[in-house]
Amino acid sequence: MESRRMRSRSQILKWGCYVLALFVCAALQTTPGLFQLGQAKPLFILPLCLAVAVYEGEFAGALFGAVCGLLWDYTAGRTVGMLALELLLMCFALSVLVQLYLQGSTWNFALISMVTAALVLSLDWLFFYYMPGYSWAGSRWLTFVLPSAGLTLLPSLVLFRLVRRIHEEFKIDNGVV
Amino acid sequence: MKDFFDTWKFKILVAVAVFLVGIMAYAGANGRLTAAPQELLSVVLTPFQKVSAALSGGVGSVWEKYARIDEVMDQNEQLEAENAELRQQMVDYDRIKAENDAYKALARIQDKNSEATYASAFVIGRDTMDEFGGFTLDKGTADGVAVNDAVISDRGYLVGVVVEADTTSCKVMTILHPSFNAAGVVSRTRENGIINGSSEYAGDGLCTLTNLERSCETHKGDQVITTGLGGVYPPDLLVGIVQEVVPEASGKSSIAVIKPGADPRTVKHVFIITDY
Repeated sequence: MESRRMRSRSQILKWGCYVLALFVCAALQTTPGLFQLGQAKPLFILPLCLAVAVYEGEFAGALFGAVCGLLWDYTAGRTVGMLALELLLMCFALSVLVQLYLQGSTWNFALISMVTAALVLSLDWLFFYYMPGYSWAGSRWLTFVLPSAGLTLLPSLVLFRLVRRIHEEFKIDNGVV
Repeated sequence: MKDFFDTWKFKILVAVAVFLVGIMAYAGANGRLTAAPQELLSVVLTPFQKVSAALSGGVGSVWEKYARIDEVMDQNEQLEAENAELRQQMVDYDRIKAENDAYKALARIQDKNSEATYASAFVIGRDTMDEFGGFTLDKGTADGVAVNDAVISDRGYLVGVVVEADTTSCKVMTILHPSFNAAGVVSRTRENGIINGSSEYAGDGLCTLTNLERSCETHKGDQVITTGLGGVYPPDLLVGIVQEVVPEASGKSSIAVIKPGADPRTVKHVFIITDY
């Protein structure tokens, strides 16, 4: 059984790893041309915060989702708080879903991550492309939103395993066998 | 789970959500894109983006390499024949050459406008959610960059304008964005108009010069420059060449479709005009 001090240190290190992963994901997501296929590019920040929500519970997951969303708002040049609010709600919902109904398997997560990516990107498309009335909004949805959501499958698989590894590495040993 | 909705944790989450809605409404009302917590995050993010952009730009994108794996493997075999010291020298040489080219270009631009001051900057971030090619640069307020500074390519063509400036980075709205506005003139005919982005043409990397007279004399191949009116952009900045002149929808004026001299969607290195 670990002492209280060790547990606290272990938790700080764990969240340090998550935050480091967040910055790496944000850099990968915004690196010009990296993993780009036509207009589409996979999302990294979204699967990371969803994976954290699965393992860390609805409260910590939702708060981490809000922080991830704030960073994403900044990199994407969106109104502050918009993506933060979306990710807060989605991380909370996914965590609750996994606790009550869904099995937290890698492929389940990857599929949910893809659907969530499609939802977030579609909302962005709705507010910033469809509602302003751009004539090419429809093709934008087909050439960017759908492929980007599809491409998010691969990072989802990797990030889910990474978060699981971090979570298990810093798991609290409470002495219960 | 039912009990969770009665706990203080749930109340905190509701408070955070209300706070986010509040800052979103505040930001929307004041036209701001970022808030203080994001500026802090951006300062931490900038070094990661620099490393990532340098790796991506230096050795080509991993994706591209994957697509050209055979060619890359051949190249790799050839490179293995060279010794490590020579490779390092080549890397150093390439970096110095790129910097030298950039500074030579800057010198040419400064010859034209010697009173202006420039900050050399590299593109470190692009988010594909921005259809109009907006990007992040590795220079911020610590380097003298401010909101509304004009951004030009290393050949002197107008690329965009700084819309957000943080301590170590800044965000640029390109000339393809419909919200972009600058006073422009056709250099040959001296016909004035407004340079702005167009949702119709942005997909092809083109922008427009609007408000031209219906019977204007501008035609394909004419050069468009800035006038300096409004005080945001310096005068005589190169923008691009006219590709076609089309009547505006109402028929009262004409629009010149401009092919920018530098494509804002692919530009990697730029200069920010910090003073003129």
